[in-house]
Amino acid sequence: MSALTRSLFLTFPILILTLRQFSSGKAIRVVALFALAPVLFTVIYLIDPSVQTGRAWFDQLFRTILVPTILPLATVILATNALGNELEDRTLVYLVLKPIRRSRIIIEKYAAVVQSTWITLIIGAAIAWVMANRGDAVDNLDMLAAAVLAMLVGVLTYGALFLALSLIIPRALVAGIIYILIWETLLGRLIPGAQLLSIQHYVQSVYSRLLSDPEFQVSNALRFPSAMLAISILIAFALLFATMRLRAMDLE
Amino acid sequence: MNASSPTAPRSEVGPIAPPIIEGAPIIARNVSKWYGDVVAVSDVSFSVEPGVTALLGPNGAGKSTMLEMLTGLLHPSAGTIEILGKPVRGDESLYSSVGLVPEQEHIYPFMTGREFLTLNAALQKLPDPEEAAQRALEVVELVKDGDRPLRGYSKGMRQRAKIAAAIVHDPQIILMDEPLTGTDPLQRSRMMELIRKLGREGKTVLISSHVLDEVERVADRILVIVNGKLAAAGDFRAIRDKIDEHARGVRIRAADARGLAGALIQEHTTVAIRLEPGSNGGQPTIIAETADVRAFYTAVPAVAQRANIRLYEVSAVDDSLASVFAYVVGR
Repeated sequence: MSALTRSLFLTFPILILTLRQFSSGKAIRVVALFALAPVLFTVIYLIDPSVQTGRAWFDQLFRTILVPTILPLATVILATNALGNELEDRTLVYLVLKPIRRSRIIIEKYAAVVQSTWITLIIGAAIAWVMANRGDAVDNLDMLAAAVLAMLVGVLTYGALFLALSLIIPRALVAGIIYILIWETLLGRLIPGAQLLSIQHYVQSVYSRLLSDPEFQVSNALRFPSAMLAISILIAFALLFATMRLRAMDLE
Repeated sequence: MNASSPTAPRSEVGPIAPPIIEGAPIIARNVSKWYGDVVAVSDVSFSVEPGVTALLGPNGAGKSTMLEMLTGLLHPSAGTIEILGKPVRGDESLYSSVGLVPEQEHIYPFMTGREFLTLNAALQKLPDPEEAAQRALEVVELVKDGDRPLRGYSKGMRQRAKIAAAIVHDPQIILMDEPLTGTDPLQRSRMMELIRKLGREGKTVLISSHVLDEVERVADRILVIVNGKLAAAGDFRAIRDKIDEHARGVRIRAADARGLAGALIQEHTTVAIRLEPGSNGGQPTIIAETADVRAFYTAVPAVAQRANIRLYEVSAVDDSLASVFAYVVGR
């Protein structure tokens, strides 16, 4: 263990423990495969790149594949894994029977989920970005930056939601995937009213605002302040609920 | 051959249940736990004072459920639990005075023993977690293997790592769920000495077990729990005396079973003897009932030696513990 890791381990033991749980488990490999999907799609795009510019391709890739599907799926895998696995194999006992607040357990677990998912997604998105834009990649960094920050907002929101879900139902991963496919992917596209309660549309709104490029704005995105308010309330509520649930639940 | 002598009539033994001692480190009052129609623990009241107390009962009796309620992992369906005078749930600071050795084996396989203990010490907010981890490794004699991943530990080593994690912060109360499971005889002996030492130091140690002889070697007091109910509680010797009144089964295999059975029936500690047919026409197995197990175990080798009969096995009959519990609760 390096001096930095050792120091972090002593300061944020649950965060480092969870990162190591992820790195030694299968879930992070599945997330990495999801994160590399944009690269695969970009390879297909490069077969005939004359159809649209690299910038237009990446914008489309981000809005139609990364945000509605890959981002929530990658997040649900690690978020439900973080506490769900410890509940299943009963190692959570080693964390809860300590003189520390339940909120600390939740926050450090949450931080590990956000860090692992976000960094993994960034790597896939950045590779796709460079491949699509090639020589223009450096000049068009504003779009990549907007996408990276919007992904952070998405991971923060989905991460809190699915972490809380893992403390409510035993098969949180399955429930989370059903939610993503039905609500976020299907109904969010078909029913305009569902967009008001759809995290992917909040993320789209943040992305549009950060990009500030009139060519790549969408009409159905929520206004930025409304989206940020909804996201903040959702994250706060989910983390508070997770803390209260961890405090109240039976751990058999 | 079926030699037997009349078994002494069983005296009725009721529960020995001292009143709750106010101010004791652990107090359970009228605690019950049920899951739908299934009652796991039923209206149990007791207190545990400093020293080593055993929670004894057959598998499925409710011991683990009771320990989980005592640590606050489970809510009682009814009743209250106090640890050091406070309700066990709702105050995380209480856990700086409590250590638990859980029953389940799984511990973070990717961590070394030292890292696992450092994690526990850091979460206990100890000033020097690494130093505390080193001390705990020394106590359970895992220093040599401290830097190996836990996935490579034997069952007994994992048990010791769990015990080390429970005592790394020098807690006042230590709860152990079957802590000696999987340890080899030497380790078991050392762990028992450690448990006794913790008791002598004034810690309140509650150890659950279904092995009567194991409990006898470490505990001063016992709580006997059967079918979720407290069957007996109090001084170990008083309860042991009553247990010893009950005939217990001993299985013996020898080169000349009939000859040995004939010699053993002469012993005053023998209550009854029967022979079970051996497999494939081999020597039968002797099933002896004795009212004094310890004296009987001493007598068997001596009798066999006198009769010049080779002994292959002397062991307790599997269901003897259950019958002991049944006897203690007077059923």
